[in-house]
Amino acid sequence: MSRAGLVRLDPNRLKVPVGYTEGMRVQGIIYLDEELEAFLEEGSVRQVANVATLPGIVKASLAMPDIHTGYGFAIGGVAAFDVNEGIISPGGVGYDIN
Amino acid sequence: MRLLRSNLSREEVLPRMRDLVEVLYAEIPSGVGSKGKLRLTRQDEERLLRKGARWAVEEGYGDAEDLERTESGGAIEGADPSLISDRAFERGRAQQGTLGSGNHFLEIQYVAEIYDEAAAAAMGLFPGQMTVMIHTGSRGFGHQVCTDYIEVMERAARRYGISLPDKELACAPINSPEAQDYLAAMKAAANYAWANRQCIMHWTREALMKVLRTSPKELGLTLVYDVAHNIAKIEEHAVNGRKQRLVVHRKGATRAFPPGHPELPGFYRDLGQPVLIPGDMGRASFVLVGTEQAMEETFGSTCHGAGRVMSRHQAIKKAKGRAIWREMEDAGILVRSAGKRTLAEEMSEAYKDISNVVDVVHRAGISKKVAKLRPMGVVKG
Repeated sequence: MSRAGLVRLDPNRLKVPVGYTEGMRVQGIIYLDEELEAFLEEGSVRQVANVATLPGIVKASLAMPDIHTGYGFAIGGVAAFDVNEGIISPGGVGYDIN
Repeated sequence: MRLLRSNLSREEVLPRMRDLVEVLYAEIPSGVGSKGKLRLTRQDEERLLRKGARWAVEEGYGDAEDLERTESGGAIEGADPSLISDRAFERGRAQQGTLGSGNHFLEIQYVAEIYDEAAAAAMGLFPGQMTVMIHTGSRGFGHQVCTDYIEVMERAARRYGISLPDKELACAPINSPEAQDYLAAMKAAANYAWANRQCIMHWTREALMKVLRTSPKELGLTLVYDVAHNIAKIEEHAVNGRKQRLVVHRKGATRAFPPGHPELPGFYRDLGQPVLIPGDMGRASFVLVGTEQAMEETFGSTCHGAGRVMSRHQAIKKAKGRAIWREMEDAGILVRSAGKRTLAEEMSEAYKDISNVVDVVHRAGISKKVAKLRPMGVVKG
């Protein structure tokens, strides 16, 4: 059983549907199995959903199984924006640029 | 992340492990705000921000082949030092060539398991082999760049009327001057990180040759690959069957390009990009390889590490009264650290089991397992 509002697509993927938070332009996908789902923080799911509201986001707001809450964007997050319509955000890279 | 392979087996280095860890700890500056042994002028720093690992090689730290085995050749074009604050310059000057603290580390490891023999062979990996993993980044320099540009972006988001559900998502349209400035500054920080890992690798080679009394050829300590995991890059991806230029943000995510990708060097073109995933200091790390499915689903990206389950504060509480270094030594891992606090924060229990994380990306098909590496000696900040 997945937690409220999330949809398990398959053993390794969890969907954050459009509507999880207001203004999502695309869905969120978190790569996660049921075992690791036990560690999933509500705050990091919200961050995946929030990123999906940003202008020019393409396909989906993604997160990897090592997801945890970060500055604005979840750590373990991947988000791609169209070069003409999209944005760039320092929070999407973080403090430890490497 | 950077991984080095060698010609040596675990058995050959085991008797010298204590010396090795001591010498590495002495030769590679680590710890919070640690200062390096490089003495850089502002002009030197400007050059390294433009040239990244290429600067380090020109200064005599390593060779041209290292650059071929580094993402983007160890330097992204378009870094602009004129967009960097004096404060960032100042923090960066003394910290080039240092490991730092937190989750950064240098590890002597061995290949504990191979999942894909052909891929492992193509990367020069064999069972029981000694490897070295280096995890560090742009240190105080990149931290300052991020701090500076978050302020810029908070103003920019208001100016361009971007409504944000959380102010920490501060951003600007890619074509705006603010976004272009951030991108050029971020590239400088990425280049700083590549130069840093290149210098540290060079001193690691020297330290190993000294302790093990081997020639460079006998040691064979060559780079498998170096890949970033906190970066934004402009890349071309297929979206709904059409090629589209995108800014891909990877924050705690690793590029995992498939076989045939034009960004890969010739010797990895048929294989796909090596992906380096560190675990916590007590368990294991993994080598994977990028896949076509990652290209289709995740803009050519996969995970970057274990991910914490305890905050640093919780971990310190949990470690109270325990000697983490001794627990590790009892498990066959020698550890040397600038501070006891770091070891408490970084203990295994504070992290998810990396094997579980890697199994998810492997089963999902967004990268494939090649080898498991286990730590023998750890240098932490």
